[in-house]
Amino acid sequence: MTWYEIKKVFSRPGSKAAVAVLAAVVAVSCYLATHIAYVNEQGDNEYGRAAVMRLRAAQKEWAGVLDTEKIRQVIEANNRVNQSPEGQAEDVRSGNIAYGRKQGFLGIRSLLNYAYAEGFRISDWYRADVLTPDMADQFYERRIGLLKDWLYDETGEAYYRYSPREKQFLVTRYETLQTPLAYDYAEGWVQLFRYAVMVIMLCMILLGYLVSGIFAGEFVQKADAVFFSSYYGRNKAIAAKLKAGAAIVTAVYFGAVCCYSAFVLWYLGADGYWLPVQAHWSAWKCFYHLTVWQKYLIIVFGGYVGCLFISLLCMWVSAAFKSRAAAVMVPIAMEFVPSFLGNLSNAAADKIIGLLPDRLLDLDVTLNLFHVYTVGHYVVGSVPLLFVLYGVLASLLVPVIYGRYRRTQAQ
Amino acid sequence: MELVMKDLSRQFQKTTAVDHVSYTMTQGVYGLLGVNGAGKTTLMRMLCTLLKPTSGSVTWDGSDIFRMDGAYRRLLGYLPQDFGFYPDFTVRDYLLYIASIKGLRPMNAARRTKELLGQVGLAGAEHKKMKKLSGGMKRRVGIAQALLNDPKILILDEPTAGLDPGERIRFRNLISELAENRIVLLSTHIVSDVEYIAHEILLMGEGRIRSAGTVGELLHQMPVRVWQITVPPGQAGRYLAEYAVSNVKTDADGVQLRILSQEQPAAKAAAQSATLEDLFLWHFGEKAGERHDLV
Ligand SMILES: Nc1ncnc2c1ncn2[C@@H]1O[C@H](COP(=O)(O)OP(=O)(O)OP(=O)(O)O)[C@@H](O)[C@H]1O
Ligand SMILES: [Mg+2]
Repeated sequence: MTWYEIKKVFSRPGSKAAVAVLAAVVAVSCYLATHIAYVNEQGDNEYGRAAVMRLRAAQKEWAGVLDTEKIRQVIEANNRVNQSPEGQAEDVRSGNIAYGRKQGFLGIRSLLNYAYAEGFRISDWYRADVLTPDMADQFYERRIGLLKDWLYDETGEAYYRYSPREKQFLVTRYETLQTPLAYDYAEGWVQLFRYAVMVIMLCMILLGYLVSGIFAGEFVQKADAVFFSSYYGRNKAIAAKLKAGAAIVTAVYFGAVCCYSAFVLWYLGADGYWLPVQAHWSAWKCFYHLTVWQKYLIIVFGGYVGCLFISLLCMWVSAAFKSRAAAVMVPIAMEFVPSFLGNLSNAAADKIIGLLPDRLLDLDVTLNLFHVYTVGHYVVGSVPLLFVLYGVLASLLVPVIYGRYRRTQAQ
Repeated sequence: MELVMKDLSRQFQKTTAVDHVSYTMTQGVYGLLGVNGAGKTTLMRMLCTLLKPTSGSVTWDGSDIFRMDGAYRRLLGYLPQDFGFYPDFTVRDYLLYIASIKGLRPMNAARRTKELLGQVGLAGAEHKKMKKLSGGMKRRVGIAQALLNDPKILILDEPTAGLDPGERIRFRNLISELAENRIVLLSTHIVSDVEYIAHEILLMGEGRIRSAGTVGELLHQMPVRVWQITVPPGQAGRYLAEYAVSNVKTDADGVQLRILSQEQPAAKAAAQSATLEDLFLWHFGEKAGERHDLV
């Protein structure tokens, strides 16, 4: 039964097109994620696997524990390059050559930009260039200090946004981060995370399209009379539809995400999976203590929970309104609601936005957001809440859809 | 084996599609005859548990069919008037899918599918896509689908619509064979579809069973007689206006009329034995619109 339901979905010409579109998007994402440049000694960009290997080698030279000594070395090395003739020159080629010489420690240099910024929310690309080696020992202190300044500044945006308990929660999170961090080449993961959202979002929209016909199709094709008058028409056959939906979501989602991950990691390498996420500038401010590998799992499974929930919502709309078109709109609405609420820019709207299902589809960003919630006596970040919330809602939708369809009177 | 409808009614907003129908069916073929909008489809949908009645009940061997749920549907085979299917499925896949939701085991399903495709004359078309079938072929798949689970109650809503004459006859024979140990209820506008095979005919009009019984009983109850007369073309109009006329045929001698009337319409009119067609016209004459069409 379930097998035929799946076959029904994929026998539609539109479904084949949807899968083709998804394959194309995965291919494009793979390309974008792996299209990283290595700047050679002449200041020219090099691309391709050989260039990746050279970049990797350059960064590996700086791999290791990110202690005061290492920070000092980076500040010195950065200053050395800046003092060199190419660093001083104004022309583009010299600039590129200077940049090329910084490639090995560029990741650490970016961390300096954040750690020594003038404020928590300020990012200044040239900040690292004004540092002196004796400032190296402030590196981890400043991470915590900037957060505190931001949270407890009465004139700032954060002061009224977080309750005292929430502020304390964030500060504690920062203080309990295991330091010193470590550094290694991790471009594979970072690039993988950055473009994962493209794959996951598209999965969601196409899955919405694929599953939208599972329940509405019977009415659209007027096959409902035979369906509902059959032996299993009001029980097992409905369960089979739900199973088919879940199977399609699971197979298509993991198919796309695994293809994408495997290609990117093969091309760029999987080094650095053990690093704390904060060791890369893209997650320097993250208050969740995770390794890169754990972050990967969270992104992948969060995306899955999000896709599953939204697909189930599509199926519910498709069962309740007997309309495929209405169901297809669900994922698109999911994209619009957050931006609509975002325009309201008030505290309540902000709290809600942090818990909308689309946040699960872009956990790379969500993990960096300062969305915290007070639940009873506990303060939690939005990420664990999102998992619980949509995990529970998805499992509640299953009996709701089943019951709704079971009670349908065929017209 | 007894399907009992008791005071069965179904209301749609203002229209009463089925109006207090009470009837009992046991084994055999039942022909449901009625004009468009008589309520045939609505009645059948209730018998298939697709529509809840506004009032009244349907019981199978004493149990309410809605309460019986799956146990009742297991006995049921239904061909809807507006038969929908999955356009991109092949005939075989379609039937195997329906077999699965009817609870047939895969081995059994494959065997039944093959058997039925032969019976409805589609043995060569099993790998054709449903959307590529002709109208009559789709109908035949619909009939096969209804028979998959060897139903005790077979409900066919206009099964012969769109079938060619040869196929119609084959279908009639198939139904006759099937009727042995089950209830077959089939609706149609075409009298000849049921005239010879139905054990009982139900004449339905405006939601009510107007008259029911065997063909003999129904004809016996008919309060008018049937006359045949041939008149010159100029005079035909007068008879058409005055009497219910069930047939008009023009040939070299003039216009041959088949008139339903208590009294002899004219001296030279010859008495004929009545047919079911005459009866149908008598009940639904105006509605059927035949008189006007023919003038
Ligand atoms: N879903 C519905 N909503 C509103 N009215 C309906 C609905 N279904 C049927 N009706 C009305 O009920 C009446 C009976 O319709 P039904 O389809 O049962 O007739 P029928 O005898 O099957 O006609 P036909 O020979 O044309 O198939 C009609 O007046 C129709 O307009
Ligand atoms: Mg009808």
